[in-house]
Amino acid sequence: MGEELKRIVGIAIPLIIICIISGAALTASYDLTKGRIEAVEQQRINESLSIIFPGASFTETDDYYSATVSGEEIGYAFIAEGKGYSGTIKTMVGMYKNGTISGVNIISQSETPGLGTRIAEPDFTNQFSGKRIEDVRLRGDGGVIDAITGATISSHAITDIVRERAEVVMNETR
Amino acid sequence: MKLDELTKGVFKQNPIFYLMLGLCPVLAVSTRVDNALGMGLCVFFVLVGSNVIISIFKHRIPSQVRIPCFIVVIASFVTIVDLLMHGYAPELHERLGIYLPLIVVNCIILGRAEAFASRKSVFHSFLDGVGMSIGFMLGIVGIAICREALSTGKIAIFDCTIVPTFTQSPSVMMTLPPGAFLTIGIIMALINYKNIRKEGR
Repeated sequence: MGEELKRIVGIAIPLIIICIISGAALTASYDLTKGRIEAVEQQRINESLSIIFPGASFTETDDYYSATVSGEEIGYAFIAEGKGYSGTIKTMVGMYKNGTISGVNIISQSETPGLGTRIAEPDFTNQFSGKRIEDVRLRGDGGVIDAITGATISSHAITDIVRERAEVVMNETR
Repeated sequence: MKLDELTKGVFKQNPIFYLMLGLCPVLAVSTRVDNALGMGLCVFFVLVGSNVIISIFKHRIPSQVRIPCFIVVIASFVTIVDLLMHGYAPELHERLGIYLPLIVVNCIILGRAEAFASRKSVFHSFLDGVGMSIGFMLGIVGIAICREALSTGKIAIFDCTIVPTFTQSPSVMMTLPPGAFLTIGIIMALINYKNIRKEGR
């Protein structure tokens, strides 16, 4: 029994030591990059905000940003995310107080390169500007958004993600 | 002799076209040349790092748990690359997406750890890692050049145009999975054709 235990411990110890060293290396690199990664993420959110409400200032509430221009609240910006064709689509949406979309800016997505990724291009996202929430559907579903050829699922996903989240925020702020 | 350890990975034992290891990222990420370069650099860092570390500890790793040990080392390197890229190259990090963490299961890295670094000296393992990663990079960038040129009609690396637009009707298929298989298949066929001709002579 003693021999067997010795053998097992002899195998386990090197693996444990390697795990401890790896853990330490990972902790160190996580601490090193943490601030930088947070700054990158925050910068991306700020960029999105200034694209959909240019010139506005923002105050963050529980799950949306309130956009104000010269002291008056003009609308809300919020992050909407959901499942795309492959992976999660995360997008910043701006909405005026009357329920009209001011703009949509994709923060991250992992759709098919060259096809689904075109949902992030201005040619597609500009279609959302000035549309009412209930009209944010593809043309085939009675809406006013033109789908991207060859990327119907991605187009469908993004319109659903935007509309559903916008409806929730609209109800919250009413 | 030593130079041989370096060049074998580039030509005679090229990981993509000869060993046919690590094809998953090659097929997936070779849609654009800059993505391919980014992936090549990540693999370079991880492969050289893990080869050296594993070679240093090769006598202390019990053979029964060598695979878990290799994977822990490789996964640590990949996570470090992932964190660094997220902080310092966010755009590339986003485009490589899931394929960055998936370098952990890239068989070329575990393959070199098992077949080479766990047997040979530190310096040879270092050379092997460098050679293999250069071979990998050449392969993936070569495929990416074909695919980007045919699917977009031009080649641009980090917004800097290398080859200006030469066609107005590029083929979308080349950016999709079939394009990857076709490109890699044709290149492999050419290499095999050349080798067969050489043997026949």
